[in-house]
Amino acid sequence: MFGSPLNPLVYLVRNAAKSVPMVGVIALAVMLIAWIVALMNSIPDSVKAVYSYSQYSLGVTPRGDPAMTPKLVETFRNECPVPIERIIVCRGSSAVVRSIVGEWPFVVLAFNQDDMDYFLDKHFVTGIEGRKPTVGRPEALISEPVARNLRLKIGDVLLGPDKSDDYSPQEVRIVGIAKTSEWMMLTDLEYHKANHFPPIDVFLVLAKDRATQAELDDWALERFKGDRAKLFAYRELEESTNEMFATLYQILNVVIVTLVAVIALMIGMLMNIYQSQRLVEFGLLQCIGYARKVLLKRSLKEALWVTVAGWASGVLIAHAMLRIAYAVLMEPRAWALNTMDPKAFAYTLVVPVAIFAVGSFTVLNRFRKFDPVSIVERRLV
Amino acid sequence: MIQSLQASLVYEDHGKEIRACDAIDLEIRPGEFVGILGPSGSGKSSLLYLLSGLKNPTFGAVLFEGRDLGQMADDERSRLRMEAFGFVFQQPYLLGYLSALENVMLADPSRNLRQRALELLDLLGLSEKTGRLPHELSGGERQRVCVARALASRPRVIFADEPTAALDHANGVQVVQLLDAHRGDGALVMVTHDPTMLEGSDRIVHLAEGTIHGEETRQM
Ligand SMILES: Nc1ncnc2c1ncn2[C@@H]1O[C@H](COP(=O)(O)OP(=O)(O)O)[C@@H](O)[C@H]1O
Ligand SMILES: [Mg+2]
Repeated sequence: MFGSPLNPLVYLVRNAAKSVPMVGVIALAVMLIAWIVALMNSIPDSVKAVYSYSQYSLGVTPRGDPAMTPKLVETFRNECPVPIERIIVCRGSSAVVRSIVGEWPFVVLAFNQDDMDYFLDKHFVTGIEGRKPTVGRPEALISEPVARNLRLKIGDVLLGPDKSDDYSPQEVRIVGIAKTSEWMMLTDLEYHKANHFPPIDVFLVLAKDRATQAELDDWALERFKGDRAKLFAYRELEESTNEMFATLYQILNVVIVTLVAVIALMIGMLMNIYQSQRLVEFGLLQCIGYARKVLLKRSLKEALWVTVAGWASGVLIAHAMLRIAYAVLMEPRAWALNTMDPKAFAYTLVVPVAIFAVGSFTVLNRFRKFDPVSIVERRLV
Repeated sequence: MIQSLQASLVYEDHGKEIRACDAIDLEIRPGEFVGILGPSGSGKSSLLYLLSGLKNPTFGAVLFEGRDLGQMADDERSRLRMEAFGFVFQQPYLLGYLSALENVMLADPSRNLRQRALELLDLLGLSEKTGRLPHELSGGERQRVCVARALASRPRVIFADEPTAALDHANGVQVVQLLDAHRGDGALVMVTHDPTMLEGSDRIVHLAEGTIHGEETRQM
């Protein structure tokens, strides 16, 4: 089946009791690492998904004085070098969404009807199940990911007097669910003005598209530095998220290096044991005319097969299990999880590399000080 | 074909020198059956390792067709052992995860020895057992597989180091007869302490304490 009886696969297949556990240990290590990295990446990915809507607008609130708002709007209109598509003056109140690491703050935006239509269109809403909030009524429109995340449906209460994180003096019920992948919670501006405190107008500045929006954000962050305005730009969110995770990744690197070292050592020891059990084989083959080089190459090929098989099966299992985890745990809550996370799989590459290095070292060391005659002579065994 | 010129093999054993072979002059000619006879510890195995290039002489030289084995690189000497020599050891060493047939085919992986191996196994009475793993064979059968492996690439010289030691007398005699019968025009150099195993030999070299103590040429 494999041609020559000395094809490395012949040994590995016929000694499955030895090779399978080695492949298994490597696969487990690869799986573990892929899992850890993919799950960790899911957190910043989720942050970016939850607040993705802010890529299409710059949020501005006045600081210290509500009367600042019209002046700030004027400054934008007069000074902004990037064409502004629309400025939406609105109100906002706070709410929370859930994540795998607890609750995250979210904003409920209160719009007038015209701005709401524009906003929905801007965020790729392809349809609404139910309807939009009626003017002046305690009604809310949420998007599909929010509905999944909070397990809410039409008729449920989004905000209410007895909810401290999602407060509104009246029960605000969901009347519509917008079909889009963006996260949003929208209520009617009249209702908000009549019921919420403090009465501060905030506004969103929107450019034509994501690229010009980024330019606009950059300009505004520079222009209003130290000014009496607080800006909510996607770039800042992205930067602070990445910064926050940079430290975590450093810790992760240490964990993974340790894990890989432990596993590589373990496999190295196993290979050493298996090699000792095969000294008779190597001694005999050298005696009957197999050059040291040939046998060395064969042993290295065996090690390569084991590590590659271990890595490949680890990656396949990890991917399959991540898909299951995504379908069962993440997707129902609209959390992000990349089942094909390239970073996760890149991290696993250190496992086969380290194991092959340790394995080769073991094999080379064995062959360097090896006298085949002592084997057939039975002076050593 | 093989010439040992004052070849000596000295072992170092806890600082003490052991002269396993002492200045041995011996020639192996094509096609002959040479028996090397001597008591245990007389240096028979050591001499065989020298003649077959498995060990390098401490002094002197061993030539194969005029070329000094000691001067060859590992690759070259290995190739020579694979292509021109066959080996049968005291223990029937086989690879445990290969069938009898596959073990015989190990003799030279660069050639397709399948047909030859099947023929040999048949000649050695193992035609029913070619697919068996070594642990499914008796000691005698295993040594016969080793004989087939030694003969498979039609070597110019077959070296046998007490090939009968692990077998009962009847099986031992059979193994020697088979080696002799199927070696074609290859020479056979056989080491033993049992003279009855050398019935068919052309020449017997007597060894004691690492030196040759006489030689008898036998009538054919
Ligand atoms: N590797 C070795 N190290 C030390 N002494 C050895 C070694 N091999 C053989 N000897 C010694 O060399 C002598 C000859 O051994 P050997 O050639 O095996 O003899 P024989 O095969 O005739 O029994 C013995 O005294 C033996 O103890
Ligand atoms: Mg001996």
